[in-house]
Amino acid sequence: MEAVLTGLFVGVLFGFILQRGRFCMNSAFRDAILLQDNVLLKTVFAALLVELVGFALMDAAGAIAINPKPFWWGANLLGSFVFGIGMVLAGGCASGITYRTGEGMVGSMTAVLGLATAGYFTAAGFLKPFKANLQAATTISGADDKALTLHGILGMDYTTLAIILALIAVVAWYFIAKSKKDEYEADPGWGWLNTGILVGLVGILAFPLSAAAGRNYPLGITAGWINIVKVIFSGDSFNWLGLMIIGIVVGGLVAALISKEFKFRMPKPIVLLQTFAGGILMGFGAVTSGGCNIGHLLSGIPQLSMGSILAGVSIFLGAWAASYVMFVLPQKKDE
Amino acid sequence: MSEVTPTKTLDVCGKICPYPDMNTMTTLKKMEKGEVLEVLLDYPLSVERIPRNLKKQGHKLIEVEQLDGPNHRMLIEAHGLK
Repeated sequence: MEAVLTGLFVGVLFGFILQRGRFCMNSAFRDAILLQDNVLLKTVFAALLVELVGFALMDAAGAIAINPKPFWWGANLLGSFVFGIGMVLAGGCASGITYRTGEGMVGSMTAVLGLATAGYFTAAGFLKPFKANLQAATTISGADDKALTLHGILGMDYTTLAIILALIAVVAWYFIAKSKKDEYEADPGWGWLNTGILVGLVGILAFPLSAAAGRNYPLGITAGWINIVKVIFSGDSFNWLGLMIIGIVVGGLVAALISKEFKFRMPKPIVLLQTFAGGILMGFGAVTSGGCNIGHLLSGIPQLSMGSILAGVSIFLGAWAASYVMFVLPQKKDE
Repeated sequence: MSEVTPTKTLDVCGKICPYPDMNTMTTLKKMEKGEVLEVLLDYPLSVERIPRNLKKQGHKLIEVEQLDGPNHRMLIEAHGLK
């Protein structure tokens, strides 16, 4: 029982950092395309790098045993593409709509409703056969029937490859940043580097704590909401991730209250319908693909899961397609 | 608190991401050089994001003022380039 409660603690921490750092992968991808604004994308990369190094060291020390998700190319492609579209309609990624619920944003609450509903039906309801068949039909396993990973394909040890990739990434980033010579104005908020590092550290903390409670994986979102649905409707007990979700909402609420940013905010009713529809696509997409932006990008890519890498690309493509239709095309019509 | 009188007011309170930013950009594009847009918003990410993108777009941020809670008021001078 106690081990499960650490989920609540991690969630509050995570929700607090998300709110203060304005962390959102939907905005990260969409802003980079639409506004040529890379600040949130840099936050995501920083978090990924921190986790890459952290997981690598912990795995080598035996503190964790990485558990990358399988490669189901059809499910990863379709599910994550649909998820990407859903994110843009919902106005937030899975973690974004979760913490913003705590901030009082009703548009995020309706998105969460969609996510939880569709997620539940895809995980345990009428859509489950479709999901299971698609996953099974497009599985490509690695050696010993384990999940296909980058280090598996290259025949390398996880920790070694992870450290090498992290070093390459840091060096590349340094040279890119130097050549761009961005005028850095003081970031009014926490700043992308601080936020990214903190998010990464939460991920590192989450892995062993979640494993101790029987769930051998770092951060996730969608399965947590599904657990909450099952607690309410099927009498299931809370698991680590379900408690973590509650923690995120509480953490977001606390952070918002402290900075006086809590306020019930309602868009027009038609927009609530839009975010609900977005949430539905996100719930279906995440469960079909085996993970949402947190499960695959934040948690899966640092474990070098090929399924998560493919999912990440697909989420980006879906978000790009939806952003193009929703925001770029109407602007072109104006010109 | 600035003495500038806004030419136009845009209220994007309650709007979801990224409409505060998109609506602001679209409105500014239609304004003449020197005209001032007053934006009322309550979305913290946009409060941080709009100012850093205004420079890229060529508009000038006159001031950002926090009202109560997450409510903010921005004054922006349009560049007028069509």
